[in-house]
Amino acid sequence: MATDIDFKNLWKQQTAEKPSIEELLGKLKGFKKENIRKLVATNILLIITCIFIGLIWYYYQPQMLTTKIGIVVVILAMVIFLIAYNQLFMNFYRLDNNLTNNEYLQSLYLLKNRQKFMQTTMLNLYFILLFIGICLYMYEYTSRMKLIYAITTYVVTFVWIAINWFYLRPKTIKKQQAKINGLIDKFEEINNQLKD
Amino acid sequence: MVFEDIYELYWQKIFRLCMGYVNNSELAQDLAQETFIIVWQQLPKFRHESGIGTWIFRIASNNCLKQIEKEKKFSKADLPVNLEEKKQESLEPQIQLLYQYISELPETDRIIISLELEEVKQAEIAGIVGLSESNIRVKIHRIKEKLTKRFKENGY
Repeated sequence: MATDIDFKNLWKQQTAEKPSIEELLGKLKGFKKENIRKLVATNILLIITCIFIGLIWYYYQPQMLTTKIGIVVVILAMVIFLIAYNQLFMNFYRLDNNLTNNEYLQSLYLLKNRQKFMQTTMLNLYFILLFIGICLYMYEYTSRMKLIYAITTYVVTFVWIAINWFYLRPKTIKKQQAKINGLIDKFEEINNQLKD
Repeated sequence: MVFEDIYELYWQKIFRLCMGYVNNSELAQDLAQETFIIVWQQLPKFRHESGIGTWIFRIASNNCLKQIEKEKKFSKADLPVNLEEKKQESLEPQIQLLYQYISELPETDRIIISLELEEVKQAEIAGIVGLSESNIRVKIHRIKEKLTKRFKENGY
């Protein structure tokens, strides 16, 4: 009779060699490293850029207020982005493992939704602030140029900004959304398994 | 409880839980190791609000659920079929089938049946998964029926 299949007995016969504790703890390093590498890289990169911009201010002593505001806005854009990015990471990192599956799935689902919102909103904000900052910053230097050069400089900048806004930004968002929407759908589906 | 004892006592159980979830011994090993890394990191913070078993099984099953993120890089279709079969040659086909069928169930059912077969009490399973005990009982009954049917279809 099929009903006599002893599932428990079959189940227990599956075993796997247990890695030594040394081996296990060796993995711990890689585990941590992998998680933190990207975070550290992003932080360092943006902080270096901020310092670099700060140094420009220090060495070139801009005269006009617009230049100073421009620099502040650009740095602000990066700082806001960095704070949001770090916070999102910490939320994910601090997710309590000792929840029931039900609660855990809900937290994952909420977290992913928040991430989706942040990625889009933050990226837009970052781009807008960056563009405003650059335009303001340029004014002092272009105002000393001949009109035709000044116009050319702004046109080139606007073209570059347009490429970023209309091509790179949607592409980045689309890529991020595709990945995250897949995950959100999947978590929702699993969540629903526990509801019936 | 010291980590070494926990590791000794729970390694096979956690491995089987992960194996039931993914039916891929390499991936299951990774998941089990990740679980014990988390256990090792968080053991000092463990406050005995729940039994140690419940705590460990929660970490393990949540880790399995989270691995969906990695799944995309690692889709089953990409793995050479023969490789997996070869590795498990020593196992009886019935055992292999059991794990295969379990891994084909909906995600949360995989966790529930794995815990049941590991002889975790149903009240404890309810505490791990976050459903009522009666709900768990019904689910286990249905899952067992489903598995039995699959075995029957294969002539067992």
